[in-house]
Amino acid sequence: MKIEIDDKDLKHGLLGLVLAIIEVIRDTLRIQSLKRMEGGHLTEDQIDRLGLALMELDKVIETIKEEQGVSEAVRSVRDGLDDLVDGMIGKLVDPH
Amino acid sequence: MTAKGLYIYCVAKGDREEPLDLCGIEGTSLWTLTDQGLVAIVQECEPKPFASADQKVFANWLLIHQNIVDLAWERYETIIPFGFDTVILPTNGNSARQNLNAWLEKESAEVKRKLEYLKNKAEYGVQVLWDPNVILSRIREQDAEIQQSEKETRSKPAGVAYLLQRKLEKLIRQRLETAADANFKTFYQRIRECVENIHIEKVRKEDPPKQMILNVSCLQNKEEITALGAVLEKIGQMPGFDVRFTGPWPPYSFVTAGG
Repeated sequence: MKIEIDDKDLKHGLLGLVLAIIEVIRDTLRIQSLKRMEGGHLTEDQIDRLGLALMELDKVIETIKEEQGVSEAVRSVRDGLDDLVDGMIGKLVDPH
Repeated sequence: MTAKGLYIYCVAKGDREEPLDLCGIEGTSLWTLTDQGLVAIVQECEPKPFASADQKVFANWLLIHQNIVDLAWERYETIIPFGFDTVILPTNGNSARQNLNAWLEKESAEVKRKLEYLKNKAEYGVQVLWDPNVILSRIREQDAEIQQSEKETRSKPAGVAYLLQRKLEKLIRQRLETAADANFKTFYQRIRECVENIHIEKVRKEDPPKQMILNVSCLQNKEEITALGAVLEKIGQMPGFDVRFTGPWPPYSFVTAGG
């Protein structure tokens, strides 16, 4: 159960981990926003504002990743999390 | 002095007990141990499996194991390979050797039956990869919903377009998943028809953009793989698809050896 944070510096690694988690939260926000939009209860104006806020969040995340040089670290953490979840689901589906 | 364990590489038909001109893991000498018309290729070791925190050391051991099994396969033609790091332990006052002999005596009929079944057969690995971009462009040509979604996105304000784009991505993912599933079923069926036995393996991550959508191990007679080759060639010719065909290997995936 190894999440590989591929780089030398602990601070760097920690930032990578934090941003990876922020990205996961961002993805969840996207899913929720889609649900609201598809729910049909929002005006086009509200949808637009929702979309713009998410776009802004995307920009901020990308900027930090670039400036701090942690894009690789974030990718690595997310791949590790994917493998972890995959493994767990695999075990639940088939305990052998 | 603690009693030794026996690391076992494989079992084959034979009746000669002799040292082998090969070095095993950690440079230990190998020899064949015989009982009931069977031989086991073994080496002495500590009474526990080999372990190392160093990935490189572990990988090297695995390579040595595979090399020895490959050589044994050439020499004895039909073998039951044991998985890496199978160690027979001494127990209850019996030496590892005695335990191995006891196992061979108990299982000799089954082992011989298995060796007969595996005669002339080898394991082949088949992996099918695709480039989702290529597959997607073909899907898009015929998918009204995707085309409609793309059209909608173009005419909206930025924030709305962003969310519509996310929606489109979700739609595309679903289409690709359905296509992968359908292709898997079709390819699996076609491959299944040309081989003696087949095991489904986990798909592995590939370098983007390629994705693996099918990974199977097949057991087939070494002289009869033309049909399989033909099926795989056809798949490889489909736009966006690549096939990896490996083997022949000793039939690791098709034995449940090791007591």
